[in-house]
Amino acid sequence: MDNILRLTDVSKSIAQKQLVAPCSLSFTSGQIIALCGGNGAGKSSIIRMIAGLSKPSTGSITLNELTIEAQPEQYLAAIGYMPDDYQFTGSFTAYESLKFWGELKQQSTERVRELLALVGLQDTGKKKVHQFSKGMRQRLLLAQALLSKPALLLLDEPTNGLDPYWMKQFVSIIDETARQGTLVLFSTHQLQVAEAAADHIVLLDQGQIKLSSSYSDIKQQYGEEGIQKAYEQLFWGEEGPMKRVRS
Amino acid sequence: MNHFTTIMKRELRIGFRNPWAYSFLALFVIFMLSMLLIHQQGYSSGYSGVTGMLMNLTLYLLPLITLMLGAFSITGEKEDGSAALLYTYRLSLTSWLGGKYIGLLLVLISIVTIGYSVTGIISSFTASGFTASVYALLFIFAVLLIAAFLAIAMVIGAIASTRWQALTYVIGIWFFFIIGWSPIMIALLGQLPYLWIKPLLTIMTFFNPAEWIRVYIIAALGGGTIVGPEYYQWITWIMHPSGHIAFCLLTIGYVLGSLALAGWLWKRRRYRG
Repeated sequence: MDNILRLTDVSKSIAQKQLVAPCSLSFTSGQIIALCGGNGAGKSSIIRMIAGLSKPSTGSITLNELTIEAQPEQYLAAIGYMPDDYQFTGSFTAYESLKFWGELKQQSTERVRELLALVGLQDTGKKKVHQFSKGMRQRLLLAQALLSKPALLLLDEPTNGLDPYWMKQFVSIIDETARQGTLVLFSTHQLQVAEAAADHIVLLDQGQIKLSSSYSDIKQQYGEEGIQKAYEQLFWGEEGPMKRVRS
Repeated sequence: MNHFTTIMKRELRIGFRNPWAYSFLALFVIFMLSMLLIHQQGYSSGYSGVTGMLMNLTLYLLPLITLMLGAFSITGEKEDGSAALLYTYRLSLTSWLGGKYIGLLLVLISIVTIGYSVTGIISSFTASGFTASVYALLFIFAVLLIAAFLAIAMVIGAIASTRWQALTYVIGIWFFFIIGWSPIMIALLGQLPYLWIKPLLTIMTFFNPAEWIRVYIIAALGGGTIVGPEYYQWITWIMHPSGHIAFCLLTIGYVLGSLALAGWLWKRRRYRG
């Protein structure tokens, strides 16, 4: 398989503060990549740089040999992005919102309806999106990112606010998307989601990549509990994770 | 459907579903009807005290509402994360800013048209309404103010990061152009040699759309003498057939110039942070 996404010595600093330390990563189509880490680990910064929303301080990002600086049209056509910090304030329904995005991506109304059904929002009728629960809004944003069947799907904390049923559905949806040849890259601090979906896991802490390995390698190295154990060993140390404090 | 039309349609939808639009419509209709009642107390044609009052009140109200709705529309997109999401789309800045501008322009013009229509219908039942030509010129005055100040609102929206910041700029600019302009001009020009006053006043007038639109409409209403001898040459060229074309070009140039500035500022600020 060809490499489709390549980050070479990419770093991000703002006002002397390093958000992402220089890192090089390379992923191929059909893979599911999970960026894991706590708050401020640099997950969103990496995703925003790949999405073209912020410029790397150093290094370069190429997607199918395209860069956003040289070929912005083709580069952007190849990505689907789901932001973490999106607020629906307009008085739009789910269908109207997705239709608007669909029109911008030259997608048919059939595709819009198909995606609404995929994320379980086909029966929301005239209910306005700002009245939706967090989980419903997340599902709508996921549908938006999937609209054009992108080569690279970038999802920033996609499972925030999802209930267990939709978390499981999310894993199925991205698995199916990756099977169709899309490279899926998502950030999460929910390790069970990474464990369930990812082929490759990148553990980040304070902008540094602590571990970047395939799921099978992690399993081999850290045993059956895989990523959970790796995370604990890398981040908790001897103190260990949170335990029940009340007797 | 092209991106420009998609953005414009969305803006129209947001605009007509915005409770603000209806509050503004109610305010505008009440205000127009009040003017009509005052006008019924005596018939006058062309530029009169009442048309002057109507123009001044329009001059206070429309730029402020236009600046607020326009600037909030842009900064709202930044605050909500919608602008960032659209950056990841193959959407040109021209389609985005242009679509937003035309969409908002149509919303505001619709509100003003409804205001004028309601007043016009009611005045047609009364004995002493405005003449059709005066009414048409007052409507053009309102539309031109909206077009010019909406373009300024786009610039404010490109500069401000939040709605609160935008509100501060809106009030500052509105106050400077509408309330503070005359005293500032009198104070500044009063310090200069007498022969400089007229050319400088002419140049300065080009910087304030409220001022040159007002002068144009007053001249078109036949009340050119009211603006004073400093504007004698303005009145002469406005009344000339080519004056109307020059005025149209000035307005279009001002709008396009402001939109180009907004686009440049937007691009420049995009990657910051």
